[in-house]
Amino acid sequence: MYRYTDFDKRFVRARAAQFRDQLERHLAGTLGDEEFRPLRLQNGWYVQRHAPMLRVAVPYGAISSTQLRQLARIADEFDRGWGHFTTRQNLQFNWIALNRAADVMDLLAEVDMHGIQTSGNCIRNITSDALAGVAADEVVDPRPYCELLRQWSTLHPEFAFLPRKFKIAVSGAREDRAAIAWHDIGLELHRNSLGEVGFRVLVGGGMGRTPLIASEISAFIPWQQILVYLEAIVRIYNRFGRRDNAYKARIKILVKAEGQRFIDEVNAEFQAILNQDVDGQAQLITTAEFDRVAACFARPEAVVPQADAMAHGPSSPAYARWVQRNVHAHQVPGWRAVTLSVKRAGQAPGDVTSAQMRAAADIAERHACGELRVTHDQNLLLPWVRVQDLPAVYEAARAAGYATPNIGLVTDMIACPGGDFCALANARSIPIAAELTERFDDLDAVFDMGDIDLHISGCINSCGHHHSGHIGVLGVDKDGAEWYQVTLGGSDGSSLAPTPVPGRVIGPSFAADEVVDAIEALLGVFSTRRLSGERFIDAVHRLGLEPFKQAAHAVRRSTARPTEETPA
Amino acid sequence: MKFIDTLHGSGWRTVGGEDGPAPHPLPREGQLLTLEQWHAVRDTWPQGLRTAVQLSNTVNVADLVSDLPRLALVVLHFPKWTDGRAYTQARLLRQRLRYGGEIRATGDVVVDMLPLLHRCGFDAVVLRQGQSLDDAQRALRFFEAHYQGDAVEHRPLFGRASA
Repeated sequence: MYRYTDFDKRFVRARAAQFRDQLERHLAGTLGDEEFRPLRLQNGWYVQRHAPMLRVAVPYGAISSTQLRQLARIADEFDRGWGHFTTRQNLQFNWIALNRAADVMDLLAEVDMHGIQTSGNCIRNITSDALAGVAADEVVDPRPYCELLRQWSTLHPEFAFLPRKFKIAVSGAREDRAAIAWHDIGLELHRNSLGEVGFRVLVGGGMGRTPLIASEISAFIPWQQILVYLEAIVRIYNRFGRRDNAYKARIKILVKAEGQRFIDEVNAEFQAILNQDVDGQAQLITTAEFDRVAACFARPEAVVPQADAMAHGPSSPAYARWVQRNVHAHQVPGWRAVTLSVKRAGQAPGDVTSAQMRAAADIAERHACGELRVTHDQNLLLPWVRVQDLPAVYEAARAAGYATPNIGLVTDMIACPGGDFCALANARSIPIAAELTERFDDLDAVFDMGDIDLHISGCINSCGHHHSGHIGVLGVDKDGAEWYQVTLGGSDGSSLAPTPVPGRVIGPSFAADEVVDAIEALLGVFSTRRLSGERFIDAVHRLGLEPFKQAAHAVRRSTARPTEETPA
Repeated sequence: MKFIDTLHGSGWRTVGGEDGPAPHPLPREGQLLTLEQWHAVRDTWPQGLRTAVQLSNTVNVADLVSDLPRLALVVLHFPKWTDGRAYTQARLLRQRLRYGGEIRATGDVVVDMLPLLHRCGFDAVVLRQGQSLDDAQRALRFFEAHYQGDAVEHRPLFGRASA
C-alpha cells in the first residue's frame, strides 16, 4: 500500500483543521447553509434523510487493517455501529451528528484517511481493479499510477468547481474489472510495441439519465504525460461543459455534442501546456517520482512463490463452492486472492457492522499481510492469501458472516442505500435486495444459475449501476409510490460481456410487490431455455428480449391493464 | 492577496453611458472597460494609459494576448461562487500568457474561495458583501503546500527542489 509521507500526513491534518474551521463558522451561523454545502460535500458530508452521511475515501479501494479498525471505532463511537461499502470503493456512515463531524475527520486523519472530494462537482475518488497488483491477468500494476492521479487531483485549485462531478477509473489487466468505459475518464494501462507503458484514454462515459459509453480519445499516452493529458481534458470540460442544466452537465454530454472538436481542443490544450506554459515540461511525471511511489507497492516480503498445493479443507459442498466462487487466481504461484462476501441474508448489500469490520481487519492481518480491498461490487477482498491458508480463511470468514459462496452470482447484487437513507432516491433498494436474497436462498439453485450481474439503483443517479447490470432495477417515483423499471442485457465491460452497454427496458415499471416476481420470471426463462452450461447474459443475447419480456409481463398484478395483457 | 473595499473605491472607474456602458469611452487614466468597450477603442487608445478590462467567464483569454501588455488589471467575474470557469482564465493568464498585471476576482466571491483564487493567480479580490476579512485571511493559512503545480508554485510537489 501507499505509505503516507510526513507531508501527506500534515496535508490531511490541515484539511481536517480547515474543515473544523468551516464547520465552526457554520454552527456559529456565520457560514450559511448554501455556502457550507459545497464545502462539506467536498469533505464527504451529505445531508440525508435521517442525519448527515459521511463518505470516507478509500483511494482505489486499498485499505489496511489499521484503517478498517479505525472505521469500526468511528462506527461505534459516532454512528450506530455499522457502515456501508459503495460501488466507488468508499465507505459511508449514516448516523453521525454534524456537530461531531470535525472530530471524525481528526480520527480519520490519524490513520491517513479523509473524505476529500468524495462528493461535490470535482474530481472524485479514483477507482481501480480490486485485484490490482495481484491479478493473474495483469499487464501493468495500476496502483502507483492511481496514487499519482490521487495526488494530482487532490485539492486541485482549478478543478474544485467543475460543471458536475468527475469520475476516473483505471485498469491495468486484460479483463476490465473497473468498468472504465462507464466513467468520465477511463484509463487502461498497456504496453506499446516497444514495451513502454502508457494509457489508452477513454472519455465521456457515465450513467444517470443519459447512459453513455466512453469513447477512445487516445490510444497511447506515455505514462509520464498522463497528468498533463488529464489536465487538458478537465480544463476543456471546465471551460465548455454545460452549467445551465445539471442533467446535461457531465462531460459525456459535451463529448457527445462536440465530437471531434472536443478531441481537437483537448489535444491542442495538451500541446499548449507542454510547449507554452511556464514550467510546462515540469508537469511530466519523473522516473524518480514514479519509483518513489511504486516502491510503496512492492509485494510484501512474505509473498514469495511457493508450491501451489491446496490444503485439505472441509469436505462440505459449501467450502468447495466457496473455493470456486470466492477464491481468485493470483500472479504469484501458491497465492490466491479471496473475496469476503458482503452479500448475505439479514444485511443490506455492502453493509458491515463494526464487529465485522474488526473481524475482516483481523483476518487480513493474520492471512493477507494486513491489507484489504473494497471491490466495486461492494465486497471486501484479501489480496495476499497463501493457498494452504484457505481453509483457515474460510473458517474465519464464516464465523464473521463473510463466507457466502456467491461472488458473481445473482445474490452478489449491487445495491445503493436507496430511499431508506438517501434523500435523492425515488424508491427503496434495500427491501428489494432483501426480498431477492430471501427468494434466492437455495444455494444450489443460485450456484447452478452461474454468473449474473444484478444491479439495483434507487433513482436515476445510478449509484447502484443498474444500467450495467445483466439485470438492472431502477427505482422510479410515480404519484408518490415506488415503482421499479427493469432492464436486461447491460454490461460493465468485464469478460462475461466485454462490450459495455446499457441494458434495455423490458416494459412499463413494476409495482414494488411485483418486481421480485418479475426478476424470478426472467430467471425462469433462463432456466427453461438455457443451453448446457450457458451463462445468463449469453442466453439474453441468444434469445433476445422478447421471451423475457413476456414472462416478466405475466407476473403483473397491480400493474396489469387490458391494453398490456397482450403484448404486440 | 489584496482585499479591495469597494465602499472606499477600487481605484478604477467604469465608464457608463446613457443606457449601459458607453459604447466608445474617451481615453483617460484609471478606467475599467468592458471587453466590448476595449475592442471599440484599442486601435486608437494611447499607449501608456493605465487601463483595465473586465471579462465574463466565457471569454477565451488567449484572444487578449496582444492586449495584455497594455492592461494593468484584468477583472474576472464569478456569477456564482460555485462556477469555476474563472479559475481556468486566471491560470491561463499567468502560466500561458505570462500576464504580470493585477488579476482581480469580483462577483459572488466568498472567503472559502481564497486558497483557490490565490493558487490560480488572482492577487486581488472584492469579497461579496458580509464576508469577513479575518476569515478570508485565515482561509489562506491552512496548507503549507499542495501537490500540483499552480500559478504561484509552478512545479508539482515532486519537482520542487525542497521536496
